[in-house]
Amino acid sequence: MGAMTLYVKQRSPVHSMDPLTKILYVIVSIAVTYILRELWAIAAMTAVTFLLLVIGKVFRKIIPVLGLSLLLIVSIIVVQGFFNPENETVLFELGFLTFYEEGMRAAALFTLRILNMIGSFGVLILTTKPDDLVESLIKRGFSPRFGYILLSVLQLIPQMSATMGKITDAQRSRGMETDGNLWVRTKAFFPLIVPVVLNSLNETRERAIALEVRGFSSKGKRTFLNVTEDYPYRHVIRGVLLAVLIGAIVWRVWT
Amino acid sequence: MNNKGNRRSMWSLNLSTAAIALIPAAIGINYLGKLFAGLLRLPLWLDSIGTVLASILAGPVIGALAGIINNVIFGLTADPISTVYAVTSGAIGLVTGIMAYKGWVSSIKTAAITGLVVGLVAAVVSTPLNILFWGGQTGNVWGDAFFAYLINNNVPLWLASFGNSIIVDVPDKIATVLISYFIFKALPNNFKNIFRGGHEIEEL
Repeated sequence: MGAMTLYVKQRSPVHSMDPLTKILYVIVSIAVTYILRELWAIAAMTAVTFLLLVIGKVFRKIIPVLGLSLLLIVSIIVVQGFFNPENETVLFELGFLTFYEEGMRAAALFTLRILNMIGSFGVLILTTKPDDLVESLIKRGFSPRFGYILLSVLQLIPQMSATMGKITDAQRSRGMETDGNLWVRTKAFFPLIVPVVLNSLNETRERAIALEVRGFSSKGKRTFLNVTEDYPYRHVIRGVLLAVLIGAIVWRVWT
Repeated sequence: MNNKGNRRSMWSLNLSTAAIALIPAAIGINYLGKLFAGLLRLPLWLDSIGTVLASILAGPVIGALAGIINNVIFGLTADPISTVYAVTSGAIGLVTGIMAYKGWVSSIKTAAITGLVVGLVAAVVSTPLNILFWGGQTGNVWGDAFFAYLINNNVPLWLASFGNSIIVDVPDKIATVLISYFIFKALPNNFKNIFRGGHEIEEL
C-alpha cells in the first residue's frame, strides 16, 4: 500500500536541492509576502515560487492543491470587494454589483499571498520525498521520536482509510442506515467511528511493544542508513534567502 | 501536585512509548472522523476527535503535540492552508487535556461545558490567524456570510472575525468533545491506563 504523499518522482534541479533549504524557502517566501504590503513585490515573490514549480516539472500537480482553497479565495474576493470598510472608489459595476478599488486591492493582496503560500509548500512537498525530509531533519538534531511519528502517520492513514470501507459495509449489513434525515445520519456516526478507534488503540498498544523491543527509547547515538548527500550551492542559496528576508524587513521598517 | 504517588503530573514530559505511538493513531482518527462526517453529510467537521481523545487518554502534552503534528502533516501531504491552524489544534489538545485531568470530561454535562470552552479557545486562537492571513475570513460559507453581514453593519473587523470563528467552531467542538466522551466511556479499562505518562512499557 502506498504511503500518503504528494511527492512526484522527477529529475530536476529543484528535486536535487537540500530539503532543509527548501524548508527555508517556504518560510522566507511566506514571510516576505506578509511583511511587505506592495502589490508588485508580492506578485514577484509569487512568480518566483511558480517559476520554481515549473523548473521542478510539477506545475500541473499544484492545481488540485490550489483547488482546495478556491472557496477561501472566492470568499475573500467577494467579501473584501463588496464589504471592505475602506471602500470608496468605484472600480466597475457589474449589473447591480459594485466592486470597489480599495476592496479589490486588499483581495488581490490576500489572494496572491495565499497562492504563494500554497505554491511554496508545493515546491517543498512535490519535490521532496517524505523520508528524505524527515531524515535530514533528524540529522540536524530533530528527535528521532518525532521522525517516527511523522513517517508512521503517512503509512497509517492509507491503512485506516482502507478499513473505512470494510467498516461501512459491515455495519450496513447489520442494518445501519447511512441515508435519511440528519438524526438518522448522526446516529450512524457512532457505529462507524467506534470500531476505528478501538482498532487503532489496539494496534497502538501492539506497536508500542514492538517499538520498545527494537530500542525505540534507547538513549544512544543513532546512526543513519544513508550517507549525507552533498548538495551544491547549499550555502549560497541559504545566504541569498536570508538576505531577501532581512531586505524585506528593512524595507518595511524604512518605508 | 496534590495527587502524587501513582498518578504523575499532567505536565510530565517523560513520554512513554505507548503515548508517542498514540499520536499517529490520533491523527488517523481525526482523518477518519472527517471522512465519516463527509460520508454521512453531517453539517460539522468532526476532524479533531483523535486529538481530543488523545488529550483525555494521555494528557495535555500529548494532546497538544497530536494537534500540532496533525496540522503540520496535513499541510505537508494534502492542504498547506491547514498548517496555519496548527496553533489552534495545539490549543484544542492542551485545553482538553487540562480540563480532562481536572475531571471536566466525566459526565455529559461537564463534557458539553468542556466542548464550549474548547470551542471558545479555538475561536480566540483562530481569530488573529484569520485576520493576519486572510483578512478575517475562514473559507466556510456560513461563517463568511455572517462575517460579511457584521462588517456591513460597521462591526469592527476583529469582532466580526471572532463571530465568524465562533459560529463555526463552537458547535463543532461541543459535538467533538461529546462524541469523544462517549467513545472514552465505552473503552475497556486496560486501554485507559496504558497511555498515562510515566508508566513504563513493562507494566503493560
